[in-house]
Amino acid sequence: MSRTAIFGALAVLGRSVLLVIGITIIVFILLRIVPGDIVELLASEGGFSTGQMEQLRQELGLDRSWPEQLLIWSVNALCGDFGVSLRFQRPISEMIWSAMPATLQLGALSFVIGMSLGISTALAAAIWPRSPWRAVVEALNVWSVALPTFCVGFAFILIFVLWLRWMPLLGNLWLPVLVLGIDIAGQIAKPLLEDIEEARQSAYVRTAQAKGVSHRVIILRHVLPNALPSLLALTGLVLGGLAGGTVTMEVLFGHNGLGRLTLDSVLGRDYTVTQATVIIIAATVVLANGLVAMIGKLLDPGREKMV
Amino acid sequence: MTLRSAGRLETAPFKLALPVSIWIATLLLVGAVLVALVGPELYGLDPLAQNLRQRNSPPSVKYLLGTDHLGRDIMTRLITGLRMSLLVAVLALAVAAGVGVVLGLAASAASGITSRVFFGFVDLLRAMPGVLLALVLVAALGSGIGPVALAVGLTFAPTFALVAREAYHRERALPYVAAIAACGAKPMRIAFSHLLPNIIGSIVTQTAIIFPRCIVTESVMSFLGLGAAPDSATWGRMIAQASRFFETNPTAVMAPTLALAGLTLCVALIGNEARRRLDPIQRHLAR
Amino acid sequence: MLFPLDRRALLLGTTAGLAGLSLPAFAQTQGTPRRGGILRYAAGGLDTSDFHRHTGSISVPQVIVEAPTSIADDGSVKPFLAESWTISSDGTLYTFKIRPNVRFHNNRAMTSADFLANFERVKARVTGGWLASAMKQVAGFETPDPQTFVIKMQKPYAPLLSLLSEMWIVAPESAGWNETISRPIGTGPFKFERWTPKVELFAPRHDGYWQEGKPYLDAVRFDLSDNEQRDVAIRAGDLHIVNVSDDKLADIVKLPGYTIHPLKDSTWYFWSFNNRKPRPPFDRIKVREAVSYALDKPSYMSFIAGERGIVTNQMVAPGNFFFDKAMHEADTHAKPDLAKARAMLQAEGVNPAATPMRVVSWQNAYAEVAVQMVRELGFRIEHIALDDLGAQRRLGDYDWDLAPMASGPRADIFLRYVRMMSDGPNPVLWGGVQDPEFDRLTLAAVAEVDDMRRRQFYLDAWKRAMDRYYTVVAGHSFQNYASRPEVRGFSGGFTWSPHRVDGGLAFTWLA
Repeated sequence: MSRTAIFGALAVLGRSVLLVIGITIIVFILLRIVPGDIVELLASEGGFSTGQMEQLRQELGLDRSWPEQLLIWSVNALCGDFGVSLRFQRPISEMIWSAMPATLQLGALSFVIGMSLGISTALAAAIWPRSPWRAVVEALNVWSVALPTFCVGFAFILIFVLWLRWMPLLGNLWLPVLVLGIDIAGQIAKPLLEDIEEARQSAYVRTAQAKGVSHRVIILRHVLPNALPSLLALTGLVLGGLAGGTVTMEVLFGHNGLGRLTLDSVLGRDYTVTQATVIIIAATVVLANGLVAMIGKLLDPGREKMV
Repeated sequence: MTLRSAGRLETAPFKLALPVSIWIATLLLVGAVLVALVGPELYGLDPLAQNLRQRNSPPSVKYLLGTDHLGRDIMTRLITGLRMSLLVAVLALAVAAGVGVVLGLAASAASGITSRVFFGFVDLLRAMPGVLLALVLVAALGSGIGPVALAVGLTFAPTFALVAREAYHRERALPYVAAIAACGAKPMRIAFSHLLPNIIGSIVTQTAIIFPRCIVTESVMSFLGLGAAPDSATWGRMIAQASRFFETNPTAVMAPTLALAGLTLCVALIGNEARRRLDPIQRHLAR
Repeated sequence: MLFPLDRRALLLGTTAGLAGLSLPAFAQTQGTPRRGGILRYAAGGLDTSDFHRHTGSISVPQVIVEAPTSIADDGSVKPFLAESWTISSDGTLYTFKIRPNVRFHNNRAMTSADFLANFERVKARVTGGWLASAMKQVAGFETPDPQTFVIKMQKPYAPLLSLLSEMWIVAPESAGWNETISRPIGTGPFKFERWTPKVELFAPRHDGYWQEGKPYLDAVRFDLSDNEQRDVAIRAGDLHIVNVSDDKLADIVKLPGYTIHPLKDSTWYFWSFNNRKPRPPFDRIKVREAVSYALDKPSYMSFIAGERGIVTNQMVAPGNFFFDKAMHEADTHAKPDLAKARAMLQAEGVNPAATPMRVVSWQNAYAEVAVQMVRELGFRIEHIALDDLGAQRRLGDYDWDLAPMASGPRADIFLRYVRMMSDGPNPVLWGGVQDPEFDRLTLAAVAEVDDMRRRQFYLDAWKRAMDRYYTVVAGHSFQNYASRPEVRGFSGGFTWSPHRVDGGLAFTWLA
């Protein structure tokens, strides 16, 4: 492994860490400018007077200065203590720990199925240009762009849960995976296909064609590796979108996942939870993107695009 | 011959022989824009008028596509909604492209710390889950077209930034840039004065991709409870509200969904064709 | 006669009748109860494991912890953990006989010392909630013997017995007693085993429960996720009992074997004006009256609850003891009158086309119906629809003109009036009323020992609210549960409580 490659990879790692810090700060600030805090929520249902609200704020540490709060939080977070949910008085690490598996499951499965579906259809369309595969790729593309995932989710619930009665609704894993998977496939299939075709036009490939190398070998041996960098870039985008996609699916199918936890906490003004979940989700995405970028650097440090 | 035009690859002679599909798509798109501009005034019913006794009713002579859960005419709302959706999407795109391209180009042209800082912003935006970003912004700024457009726009800004960066690197490798640089132009100036016009192709393509996604994202936000004001009948809001009644009134959901899919298809087809004619690499290859 | 129970029996005879209308509700107690099974229940959420601090609609803690009294289906107060009580003639001394042989989840027997500990905790420690105001009126407690508990009030306090239905008796040895209880040990039929906020509470059976032979179920799983697709989930078999919203009720009623269980106290729907900082021209009573003529009550309530919607102008539904027929029949807004509305606006010099009106509401469909009704008058409407907390926060800014809102069942009518008092809890839904005369009348009602005189005080207070158009009631409807065919023995209570002395989850079994 070349020195530049390792150096590049470390640089990416370093930048990822900086990003996480940046996100922490921005989330922190944003959540404090937003008017209306958890004390108001607690007060809105019961009988709090203004004086009592102030007292509660003090108890919860909301009256300290922002930098102070940030520092205390960060130090604790690094030790795994994300504080306590303002709304439920439960340790946040406990809530996150119980919500993590569902999101990881949903995310990982959707990613694997989606990428497999996308790559295979793109490949099929590239290898057999005159077959219906091209149409499949186009259809997937339009599907993922035009149809909101929650809409598809509703339709699938109607079909598979109510009409066919094949599966339950709450906690259902395969339906949301299907929905997100198709969506992901739609996101990558067409760009990938175009990249393959672009690569196929290159001089390098035309030489191989002239030499009589088989069509399939050309695609697999020569074109695909050059399409890899853009595939990695697409992966980055997909991961980013997945963070949002899981929120919708978790809400629709009643999963106890990080996405829903985040949404609930924002609507419930439970800022300590929001802070923790957003930073964790964002950190995961950043690190995943970093990983992708590192792989990219290791494969092709100069990032020269071949023409 | 100025240095700017020297940079342009010669275009193939402009052929009017477009495939039929493109003609249809263009016609539909133009039609849609016309409808968006004057439709609501010409087509009779009030999009907000509720006929509570005829909720979720199927298509009829008076209500061409039936009514929604509040007894409002779906056809009218579809037409009004087109205008609203287009408005939100255009605003969001303006934000996305404006912020994204500027950030992307500036980040690419700059060097050292400045570049890293700019890219840091891009990565920050990209790492924040779009939904959450939207959530917080709408919570802080209130609902309404402005905040929603801002939220949606910022969500897609990184995409434009990345496209700008891709395009920048691609253009920079071309000979004319070296020529300009040799004349002493600074990277920033090169980026914004010379490269930008040649990058438009990629930006337009990206716009075609992102445009329908803006509409869909607004729909998701409505679903999650964050959308624009309830009066505005954006397609997104229609889909989100009608989804609850999918079983009893599928038309209410299908109409805006199919309309959206149709619009996407048209925009995508045209965008593809535009790219084939404008994108330097593609043009080069097409010869 | 002091707070006689038989008066309250007059309550809601109509309600029972209405409940019987289209709903095959109460015939579910067929067959012998079968022990076993885990029931999945989704109605309401849980905000805290320290139930003394819980506010708002409470629908989960009641199976874990119980209270001295329980509200019966007709709104009257029944003995629960208190076996019986006597009230002194001046209405200030309450002597409770504590039920013997009641065991906490940790098998310890409950005594008056536990009552004392809980009452003192609420009095000293809890800063919010309905009971706080009651506790302020307490002069002292006494425990003459382990089976007797005495409360001395400073002056007569009519809602006390009803409010005590939410004075949970928790074992003081529960973890977190001195700060925030994290694991409450109660006397209820199910135990607090495992809580994942906004996800689930798992509550297995308490084998030492004091009601012989109950509960039948092995455990209850409370689904706390507030999922919008609850109606689909129950049909798919994921849930047994759900709170079903009005617009999905029609779908479920059609299904064979499913039962609808209505709640016995009503949810009231009203239009509130801004009373704290009213903005012209809506600060004038005549203008408010004009706007109210645009409110099409029958259509509104029909939209909300179909045939089960009830139109009236009071905060309680017909059949309730505090309902007044004469006042109901004198309702000038029972039917809309747009022409009159426009005429009145003109007479007041208000030009709707030039007048902005800001409406704040939740994000529900009936708010849009309300807005459309007012739009017919020609006002330039700005409609702000927000989530729960957002709306309440926005209302607290008092920079709006109209708010179409709703409020659910409560154990006592005082809990409805208190929201319109000058220092009441969360008054924003009613525009932040601050009217000393209204306060005086309400407090007089609270301190009034005689039923009929109390009723009159409440009615006088309400008349004042109506005359000044603080809020205009559109009507009432009753919330509902739906249960799957295999669920037997379940019924809805007066409020959202799933466990009462005479019904609920302890009486439920799975066939």
